[in-house]
Amino acid sequence: MMAPWASESRRFAFHAPRPNMPPTACAGVLERDGFKWIPVEAPVTLYTLGDRPFPVQMSPSEPERVWVRVMRVLAGLAAVLLLAAPAAAAPVNTGHLTAELVAQSQGIAPGQTIHVALRQKIQQGWHTYWRNAGDSGEPTRIVWTLPPGWKAGAFVWPAPHRQPTGPLMNYGYTGEVLLPMTLTAPSDARPGETAQLKVAASFLVCEEICVPEDAVLDLALPVTAAPAPADARWGGPITQALAAAPGPAGLAAAFGRAGDAVTLAVAGPALKGADVADAYFFPYDGTQFDHAKPQPIERGPQGLTLTLTPGFAFKQAPGPSEVAGVLAIGDKAYEVTAAPGPAPPGAAGLGPPPARVAAPAAPDLGLVLAALFAFGGGLILNLMPCVFPILAMKAAALAGHAHTGSEARRQGLAFGAGVLATFLALAGLLIALKAGGAAIGWGFQLQSPPVVAGLALLMLAVALNLSGVFEVGQSLQGAGAGLAARSGLAGAFFTGALAVLVAAPCTAPFMAPALGWALTQGAAASLAVFAALGLGFAAPFVAAAFAPALLSRLPRPGPWMDVLRKVLAFPMYGTAAWLAWVLTVQAGDMALARVLAAGVALALAAWLLGLAQRRWAQGLRPFAVAAAGVVLGVAAVGAVLWPGYGAPPSAAAGGAQANVPYEAYSPARVAAARAAGKAVFVNFTAAWCVTCQVNERVAFASRGVAEAFRRTGAVYLKADWTRKDAVIAAELARHGRAGVPLYLVYGARGGEGVILPQILTEGLVVRALEDAQGR
Amino acid sequence: MSVSRFALGGLAALTIAGPAAAAPVVGAAAPAFSAVDADGRARSLAEFKGRTVVLEWTNGGCPYVQKHYRSGTMQALQKAAASDGVVWLTLISSAPGKQGYVAPGDEARAWKASTGAGSAELLLDPAGKVGRAYEAKTTPHMYVVDKAGTLVYMGGVDDRPVADPASLKGATNYVAAALSDLKAGRKVATAMSKPYGCSIKYAE
Repeated sequence: MMAPWASESRRFAFHAPRPNMPPTACAGVLERDGFKWIPVEAPVTLYTLGDRPFPVQMSPSEPERVWVRVMRVLAGLAAVLLLAAPAAAAPVNTGHLTAELVAQSQGIAPGQTIHVALRQKIQQGWHTYWRNAGDSGEPTRIVWTLPPGWKAGAFVWPAPHRQPTGPLMNYGYTGEVLLPMTLTAPSDARPGETAQLKVAASFLVCEEICVPEDAVLDLALPVTAAPAPADARWGGPITQALAAAPGPAGLAAAFGRAGDAVTLAVAGPALKGADVADAYFFPYDGTQFDHAKPQPIERGPQGLTLTLTPGFAFKQAPGPSEVAGVLAIGDKAYEVTAAPGPAPPGAAGLGPPPARVAAPAAPDLGLVLAALFAFGGGLILNLMPCVFPILAMKAAALAGHAHTGSEARRQGLAFGAGVLATFLALAGLLIALKAGGAAIGWGFQLQSPPVVAGLALLMLAVALNLSGVFEVGQSLQGAGAGLAARSGLAGAFFTGALAVLVAAPCTAPFMAPALGWALTQGAAASLAVFAALGLGFAAPFVAAAFAPALLSRLPRPGPWMDVLRKVLAFPMYGTAAWLAWVLTVQAGDMALARVLAAGVALALAAWLLGLAQRRWAQGLRPFAVAAAGVVLGVAAVGAVLWPGYGAPPSAAAGGAQANVPYEAYSPARVAAARAAGKAVFVNFTAAWCVTCQVNERVAFASRGVAEAFRRTGAVYLKADWTRKDAVIAAELARHGRAGVPLYLVYGARGGEGVILPQILTEGLVVRALEDAQGR
Repeated sequence: MSVSRFALGGLAALTIAGPAAAAPVVGAAAPAFSAVDADGRARSLAEFKGRTVVLEWTNGGCPYVQKHYRSGTMQALQKAAASDGVVWLTLISSAPGKQGYVAPGDEARAWKASTGAGSAELLLDPAGKVGRAYEAKTTPHMYVVDKAGTLVYMGGVDDRPVADPASLKGATNYVAAALSDLKAGRKVATAMSKPYGCSIKYAE
């Protein structure tokens, strides 16, 4: 492992007392670490270059050799003195690092194999090297001096770090590193004795400049009758270093030439679903690849393929018969040994991983910008079709208080508080679920059939109330003004909450980058962005409540209010119908039957309740009727909240709805279509996403778009996120999005995915398809 | 916004791909270059056409360079080459402000005197243009160009990639071997090896 000459000399770095000191022969000793004397076999010359001192080794002249011998005697004396001290490994500071030899256990039994480690604590800003140092540098080397019969193994190298310097790339370590190796005692080692183990280590330590430094390290290891317990200080760290060291992990690997490049394909269960965006291959052999060149990555279902730039070993016949090294992925590292041949299955096919830094626009947003976007998105949300009925209902209530300014203000504030509280609660829930590892995104509350069905019934109940079938609040209580005011405030608060619940899936265009950004940040930043969204959403209503000029323009309360209320019931019926349709898409027609039956039951319950209220007003005691209404209502709600919904209607992985035939999205389908030289249009959509549905009708159903798909031969894929789907959620996240819609267009000639705006027009889609054909 | 970002990405990819196209290839024409000599005059590879040329990247502060200079082996090789009519050009690509930078004039002239080098010229490449054209990585890093201007060797000085001077004993010097192959009219047996040493201190 180590060249025999390496132990012949030791060099020490030290700084010149003054700059430009002339070369000085200073054979002898260096004093460091208190009073320890360290021998120097070859004299050291201080040679200054600019203002940096360099240790330079010279061939010793005859008088110097005499000096060296004198020093050796002194060193021998020092060694004897050191050995008289309690047996322990002493760290040696070689100048830019401190080295020591440490053991995993407190002793070693005859015939036992334990691990010892060479520990390096490297000065900040400096580094040492891995087994393949990269473009320059030199790995750490050792030579053992062991008693007869003892054996030591080679280093178990931890995964290195990349150290780019200018156009060069080096592989090595910074900070503290343990290089473990095995140590085996002979079977005739005598318990009770202490083995004196010695290692001569040579390091190349570099900052911008490089200094070779050496140390002779001792370890006194007691021989014990039985295997000894772990060393209190180093047992844990050495075991950890061994566990973290790159291992084979059952990965299959093969390499092959692809034009001027060499591809390395690696696959195995250990790589299934791994985020390989930062994967990097560290070759053992420094001649096989150009270390400084990028390593483009293609993902596979359970592996990856790296495209490497060959080094000179591949430029000479017959070329390497094996490529071995360490594949680092995130904080994991695997040992890979590849033979020439076809790629193992699962190592490619999913295209390159989206660049973490370059692709998503969202992470570039600062908190302030994200909050501004969110505020703007919240404002726009007020105009969304799913929100409007709720606000319309609330506007009616506000108009009722229009001529009592303070009441209007209180209602406005209560509404705002309801909006904010609900946004924050949803954000908190989302953050908590994400922290728990769930692949979900914004609008997630509408991905669950019971929630959608429950909301549909709630909308129906609100609509029936507006229609005057039954009353809520004061008329039921029939009590005083104080109570009425309080319930009015609570009503405003819950109106705000309700508005948020149904508004959330209507991700407005400005909201997408802000929410995408927020969900990749810490909890505090996320909550701040969601709060900004809530403020934007509540702002128009609250502002109106606080503007007497605006309020005074509203007509005085009167019979017209009852008419308005009954008119506004119909947008709510519409919302209920829409949610029933979403449910059908999510869970099939049996679910539709269920929600319709529950709706009829709820309507009957509402009517019974209304009947009871009217009788109560007449001074009767309609307990049976009221009880029947409540029971029926609870049963209806229970019937839809009960889980057990069916699977979505299978679209037979494709369909010809509207005019444009589409296929179901999968990363493999994208890769296959791209490999076939076709442009690919991916539509990330959901039934509950109103923006998506509007785009379907406005853009995708148009004849021009259908014609453009036919003309360009582009493949149209739909990623339907109506129900939870981890693959789609991951793909959205890769593009910095937390929700749908997302429209991605890949070029026919390998062009990268281009993200289209969230609101599409026919012309926009046609232009995108034509553009994709040529790139 | 997205479109322009992708366009930028494409541009970046092109920039990265640029230098790779000019990579030095053994058996192909050595990349042409010009650099200033110790007196600040512009010199080029073209002026040595018809002669065998050795390119040696160096840095006086590098322990690996010192291994070859302190022992005198590099100077001996330079002088032997000169006596065979070989042009030996020593290059320094350290950027101003970086370790190993040598300015033209007295400092550069002093280099030759202090090292006792037998090079024909010391060429200075502070912008790193020559170094990058040859993809020179380390000091030392050696290249041999034959009389026809073809690159016939690139790599390390020898087969002992360590800084320890004791390693010189028994080492195979690839440059000496390439020069004697050329002299004898043979194909260079070892045309490529892994260069070793300190990183070249290029301009950022």
